[in-house]
Amino acid sequence: MTIVRGVVAGAVGYVLGAALIMAIRAASGAAAWEVESVTAGAWLFALTGWLLGVGVWRYWARPWFGRPADTYTTTGWRRYFDFDTDHKVIGVQYLITFLTMFFMAGLFAMLMRYELMGVGEDILNSDQYNSIMSLHGTMMVFVAVAATVGAFGNYVLPIMIGADDMAYPKLNALSFWLVPPVLVALTASFLLGGYDTGWTGYAPLSVKNDVGGLFFNLAFFSLGLSSIVGALNIIVTVITMRARGMTWFRLPIFVWSIFVTAILSLIFTQFVGLAMLLVILDRTAGTVFFDPASGGQPLLYQNVFWFYSHPAVYIMILPAFGITLEMVSHFSRKPLFAYRWAVGGLLGIMGMSSVVWAHHMFTSGMAEALRKPFLASTELISIPTGFIFLSALGTLWLGRIRYTVPMLFALGVLFNFLIGGLTGVFLADVPVDIQLQDTYFVVAHFHYVILGGGIFALFGAIYYWFPKMTGRMMNNRLGKVHFWWMMVGFNATFLPMFILGLQGMNRRIADYTPGLESANRAVSMGGFFLGTSFVIFLANFIWSWVKGPPAPDNPWGARTLEWQIPSPPPHENFEIPPIVLADPYGYGEPGSVHADLGGNGRSESLEEGVQA
Amino acid sequence: MGNGDHSTTSQTKDRTHSDRQPGRLATVAFIWLLVTVLAEITVAAIEWQPFAASREATISDDAFNLLMVLATPVFTFVIVVGGYALLRDRHRGDDADGPPIRTSRAFIATWLVVTTVLSVVVIITPGFTGLDELRAEPEADLVIDVRAERWSWAYRYADSGVETQGNLMLPINRRVLFRISSTDVIHSFWIPAFRIKKDAVPGQITTTMVTPRKLGSFDNQEEMRVQCAELCGVGHARMFTGVTVVEQDEFDAWLAAAGG
Repeated sequence: MTIVRGVVAGAVGYVLGAALIMAIRAASGAAAWEVESVTAGAWLFALTGWLLGVGVWRYWARPWFGRPADTYTTTGWRRYFDFDTDHKVIGVQYLITFLTMFFMAGLFAMLMRYELMGVGEDILNSDQYNSIMSLHGTMMVFVAVAATVGAFGNYVLPIMIGADDMAYPKLNALSFWLVPPVLVALTASFLLGGYDTGWTGYAPLSVKNDVGGLFFNLAFFSLGLSSIVGALNIIVTVITMRARGMTWFRLPIFVWSIFVTAILSLIFTQFVGLAMLLVILDRTAGTVFFDPASGGQPLLYQNVFWFYSHPAVYIMILPAFGITLEMVSHFSRKPLFAYRWAVGGLLGIMGMSSVVWAHHMFTSGMAEALRKPFLASTELISIPTGFIFLSALGTLWLGRIRYTVPMLFALGVLFNFLIGGLTGVFLADVPVDIQLQDTYFVVAHFHYVILGGGIFALFGAIYYWFPKMTGRMMNNRLGKVHFWWMMVGFNATFLPMFILGLQGMNRRIADYTPGLESANRAVSMGGFFLGTSFVIFLANFIWSWVKGPPAPDNPWGARTLEWQIPSPPPHENFEIPPIVLADPYGYGEPGSVHADLGGNGRSESLEEGVQA
Repeated sequence: MGNGDHSTTSQTKDRTHSDRQPGRLATVAFIWLLVTVLAEITVAAIEWQPFAASREATISDDAFNLLMVLATPVFTFVIVVGGYALLRDRHRGDDADGPPIRTSRAFIATWLVVTTVLSVVVIITPGFTGLDELRAEPEADLVIDVRAERWSWAYRYADSGVETQGNLMLPINRRVLFRISSTDVIHSFWIPAFRIKKDAVPGQITTTMVTPRKLGSFDNQEEMRVQCAELCGVGHARMFTGVTVVEQDEFDAWLAAAGG
């Protein structure tokens, strides 16, 4: 019902907005109906209508007008389709939505690899290939940006800091319900013929292409709104909702990683919103930001776009670092080694991430004098990144390593990101980058970072927190089969892509010169192998959710707070607010306790002795 | 930094580990050295780059090869140290935790120094030195205006006024300046065999220089092509032409025949 209300209100919003824009157009002497101008303007009204209809009006906005808010009465599975403000419901909504997007984008990748198996056009013509490739990239970037933060930043983070919910539960629901319009825009784009710019949407190509391109801009803009709202909520939650005694250096490293990610997201997402907005205005309102004939500047787009989109790479990878270090500590049964250096690494990456963006533009025609500073800043960011490996290696060393499925994924992240990170050092070197920019070397590099790092960590996190979220265990053996299948498939696909890039295959092409055919065939075979690994995952995921054996409260024997409460957690998470006594990594330290959860009578001295 | 509240606890329990440390460290160091030597030999034996036909290609390839030499020990270090721990320190049935080692001043200090030195080294060389080398010869013998449009390349030899489409003819061992422009969207002027690439941006003239050092053509070497490297729409994949490098007298004859 909620969704129906939202759709109706969204449609009403679109009609109202369209009428307004058409009136303005008619008044200024233009033809009233022009699909792009009308749709771009009406989108904002449709978005507002959708949000009001889906729950903002009934549960939130009515009191602003002196009316009582509706009581939220939805229970059971229907809550996942409603404007629910429980962070645990929202976490699941994010997870399922973005997993769906991940598998759709994965199918697009399979199509691309099928087309690229041989020279010439097979199943896709160049136009279709460009559209499929663009949608694959866009959707995967959306997944990488939002899936981990949305799912586990919401579900796990509040429990880890001993809170009963996020700081702004309604805002949290709003940030999720901004996501379905993103899916609508992407679908509309696909049905209207797609767009041919890739996810980077460089102007002026993105100004000149067909109407599908507009929906790409609207989708990215809308996801940006969702990211900003969600980031604000996470930042306030971590600052204000920590339990008593949860000092900054007692925070689980995963919380740190999400906190730092949210800061990046809050600061930088507006720039990609701006880039999209400028393109939309050039397309629909007659502005000339990117039209050189009228004084516009195409490189402006790249600067604004990468000013977000390089920090966005860290928005994708920092949560993966947090997850990985979390697993490495709990499954090595050792304290996280050099905890403060790991935190310093996250903060160092955050600080430097805003001064490296032009390394995407070494061959773009930007001022030559900028090459050296951006080369240097990019190479230097490997120092704080190295702290993550310092911490991981130091923790593994002399541990009691348990090869659980999530631990395998964490180790996979370390291996894959090692390759992704080291090849980044090559691409930061300008004489090398001049050759490798826009080749498959870059494609391989960022897949090692985003898929091999970010998405491997996402799957590790799913295996790790699934018992907490669902109250059921996933099948361990199938999990291990999935890991090794995915790990082998991933490396079989993307390692040869480095060679393809070195041999001179440029990216984003539906066809290539004959000398590249055999390597492309190998890459495609690896890709299909990688793709099928997810069948195992899906079977395990769905079956375990329905019929998996009941999970104990703490199946991993981990020390963070979420494992000290029932699986799945009760609505308010904790019976009484916990008091934190030490960081959660006191493995092997006799008498070390992370937190007192009350229960058998908490001593008064404890209540008094702990500073909030 | 790095030291938690518990560094003094549980000393007795991990004494056995501390005693074993020097032996472990020596073993790991030995394995790492061995693996690194083998890896460096392998890396050196592999031909990473395709056909290289210009002065710039040598600079770029040398930079790549030097980075390979430097990256290999880093890669092997993480693999050997991590791999050793994964094999030796696996959980063996009991429920005991590992030793509560929260920090190691020596390890962290060494790590900091080594990673900082490595980063600064790669900035200086092959980074800055390579860039300086690329820019070391600014005088051009031949100027060619490159015009990109969807989806073709057009060349104009500035001195003679000769205009061509299709194959790009160049004389060997002459310094060539390309002045690149676009009439519609962004393209990128890339010659894989030369290791040069520069975007063609509407409303802007971008430049790049190259000195061809080898004879050759697209018929013999696929890398001898001008390839568009920036997505420009439906014809992007096939927006390439051949490049032919010939001796100076042959080039002069060709230019004269073409109307120069």
